[in-house]
Amino acid sequence: MSTVLIVAPIVVASWPVITAAVTAAIGTLGFTLARAELNASVSQQSQTKTSNREVIEVEESEILAGATGVAQQLVVERDGVRATFSRDARGALKLCVEGSHLSKSQLRAVGEELIGAVTQQYAYHRIMTELKERNLTVVDEEMTTERSVKIRVRNF
Amino acid sequence: MDEQEVEIEITAQGKVVIRTKGIKGPQCLDVAQLFAQIIGKEESRELTGEYYEASQVLQRNIQSHRHRTG
Repeated sequence: MSTVLIVAPIVVASWPVITAAVTAAIGTLGFTLARAELNASVSQQSQTKTSNREVIEVEESEILAGATGVAQQLVVERDGVRATFSRDARGALKLCVEGSHLSKSQLRAVGEELIGAVTQQYAYHRIMTELKERNLTVVDEEMTTERSVKIRVRNF
Repeated sequence: MDEQEVEIEITAQGKVVIRTKGIKGPQCLDVAQLFAQIIGKEESRELTGEYYEASQVLQRNIQSHRHRTG
């Protein structure tokens, strides 16, 4: 081995791409889709109930502004935990995790796991698209026991 | 001769690890950076054996030549 680089993905995508990444990611973590919201009213209602809440902002992200009326909020749920993906005022991806039976630190851990899985799906899609566009040869793909995805490439 | 290859690992935490194999010398870093630019921002790097191998061979050749020619 000659060089090892560790790279943090920069997520720049439209909301439909984010939706696709979330949908692909949540299955492995036991989450299910609730419903997309056109506005924040339902989320605001849930805040009045007694529940802990953690907000995680994905700093290296930019969600491209979509057409008016297109939902830019996605809710997933698991075992009484509700996680809402949305686009914040700066255009970054934001995740709000709520649950009445988990502590704030536990909610943050759930949120970070979700963000990691969504980022993994986004990065995979981005990389595979670029490899195809550049006519590079993918000789192998595998999913490891640690849920990493490994892609081997030749002919660059 | 080792097959030249790049391995891209996308972890469950969303990090991407790019490893080059069979590419000797500074070219391996160029190839790795090409992939890194597609993905995002480099956080850290490690240059190992093969990166230095080409320059070491060149240095030995230079020393051997000087020894022979005095």
